[in-house]
Amino acid sequence: MKLNNKILISNVLLSFFMLIVTGFGMYYVVNSTIYDELDFHLMQHKTDIQKQLSEQPESLDEIQRLGGLGSYEWVEISPFPNNTSSIKNTFTTIDTVRYAEVSQLPEAYRKLTTTLTVNNEPFVLEIYEEVAAWEKISMTILLSVLAALFIWVILLYVVNQYVFGRILSPFYSTVDRLEQISSPTQVGEPFPEANTYEIKVLNGALNNMLGQIKSSFEDQKKFIQNASHELLTPLSIIRQKAEKILSDPENLERKDIERVHEIQQTAVRLTRLSNALLLISRVENKQFSLDDDIHISGIVEKALNELHDFIDLKKLKIHFDKREEIGLSGNRELVHSAVYNIIQNAIKFSPDGGNILIFMGRDPSNASVLSVRDEGPGIPDHLIDEVFNRFKKGHKMNDSGNSPGLGLSIVQSVCELHGFRCTASNNEGKGVTFSIHF
Amino acid sequence: MRALIVEDELLLNEELEEQLLDEQFTVDTAFNFMDARELLSGEIYDIVLLDLTLPDGDGLDLLKMIKKSGHHEMDTAVIILTARGAIEDRVEGLELGSDDYLSKPFAMPELRARIHAVLRRKFKISDNEITIGKLTVNLDHLQVSFNHRPVDVTDTEYKMLRYLFLNKNRTITRIALAEHIWGNKIDDRFSLDFINSHMKNIRKKLAESGAPDLIETVYGVGYKVKAYETQ
Repeated sequence: MKLNNKILISNVLLSFFMLIVTGFGMYYVVNSTIYDELDFHLMQHKTDIQKQLSEQPESLDEIQRLGGLGSYEWVEISPFPNNTSSIKNTFTTIDTVRYAEVSQLPEAYRKLTTTLTVNNEPFVLEIYEEVAAWEKISMTILLSVLAALFIWVILLYVVNQYVFGRILSPFYSTVDRLEQISSPTQVGEPFPEANTYEIKVLNGALNNMLGQIKSSFEDQKKFIQNASHELLTPLSIIRQKAEKILSDPENLERKDIERVHEIQQTAVRLTRLSNALLLISRVENKQFSLDDDIHISGIVEKALNELHDFIDLKKLKIHFDKREEIGLSGNRELVHSAVYNIIQNAIKFSPDGGNILIFMGRDPSNASVLSVRDEGPGIPDHLIDEVFNRFKKGHKMNDSGNSPGLGLSIVQSVCELHGFRCTASNNEGKGVTFSIHF
Repeated sequence: MRALIVEDELLLNEELEEQLLDEQFTVDTAFNFMDARELLSGEIYDIVLLDLTLPDGDGLDLLKMIKKSGHHEMDTAVIILTARGAIEDRVEGLELGSDDYLSKPFAMPELRARIHAVLRRKFKISDNEITIGKLTVNLDHLQVSFNHRPVDVTDTEYKMLRYLFLNKNRTITRIALAEHIWGNKIDDRFSLDFINSHMKNIRKKLAESGAPDLIETVYGVGYKVKAYETQ
């Protein structure tokens, strides 16, 4: 979730909380104030009635008439029931109908029940005061407060969106650019100087670090280029000298010949190693363009053609199952070398007269796949996941002078560059299947 | 034949010079860009061995210069020798008109074979043959014959024979042979066994056609074609 959305959500939640608390609080406070006021009013009324009744009325009717004088309230006076003892002032809220002919709907009334003494005789006095009008006022207050708060929430949202957008825009432009950068070659312009302290610190740190990464990346590229030259030229000399000795072996001891031969072989091995490392680092540094149109069947056929000597000599049977052509854009040389390495690997580990099945089509997840299946010894299960890793050999961990396991590393780095996936799995019977999922 | 070697590495330059002198070339050497430019502007060479990475300049600029000056009727052949294995460099070099391209490190017999091929092309020599003890190998076409009777060989066998014939009287290591045939992508141990089996087939075919065993195995090293009377 984006930072400004998080801030926004927390603000909105806080506002809603405030809205609810204030709403209920207001309602409670207003209501209790109203009831206090009503009760006070009712008590005053009682005092008024008591005063009015000091004129010594004769009958109950007279008392009721006098009690109701000059009052809009609903007053009822009744004789004090004998079986009850004197009652105190009691306030209740009831829903009742006053004038059945006007409205059948019960309305809320605040009722004071108390005793009244006229001519030393007790009467029950009930005074009703209408609450509905007051409740309407309290509802109105409540609603207007809620409306105000609601408007505030909306305002908060809008202001948040706009103001945060404004304030955070340099931050987001930094984030956007970081999202675009996937390799040090894409660093480009330095991040701009911002006037917000945090963003200034952030951009400054990014500029500093990315600058360092970029320059060390460039140094690395130069280093690779130079290292290859610096290594290959002396290797060239070693080979030249060794071959010179070997080209005239008559006056050499057999042991010396073998030694020189080993020197030569080691130089060749070292050459392969540095060439392979050079290729891998160039691939990993994305120093290749990826815009050739490639048809995988053509690549496979070319590789098979280049390897036909080995296929013939080992009497291998190649079955190329072309289910569906795979066309893609990438670097032709690199894809070729990946395919070539996989096929060469299969040839290398196949027994004489074995079968190699090359399948081009779709895998179970419907992605294009090229797989090469051999009948070789397979790879121990604990090594199969590491088979593409640099400097791990699936088969022999000895110093036979075989390729240093870089062939499959080349395959992997080429796949990574192109966004392919390469997998290895042991077959149920024997041998291994290497696959490239495009 | 005049040759110029442009190579900044002293030992390698010397080695190349020795090889070319062996081949009866008249050799000039340059160790840097400036020297090479001076020599190239004053002299006409039949072939230039050009290292691309020079301490004071890019060999590709020298290549442009050679091809631009174009001494018309006699174009200078250029073989690029470089440790810059990059494909782009190779392509650019060939586009600029270099005649061949060798990645360092290379085997001397390979260079010799390339020089021969380049010069044969330059002087438009076709159907050039080398005959040793009545066994004839055509240098340009897949053609091997003994006593004018053709010997049926495969492409790879022909390449091996031609390479050995071009480098007659020299011991050719199996590594050099393997690299000549399959380039440097093949694992060495892997391919050396195959050189042995191919050689077995060649011997068999030559024996069937009645040719004497010209190919000598140099134990632990490789092979050699001995030609006592050179043509």
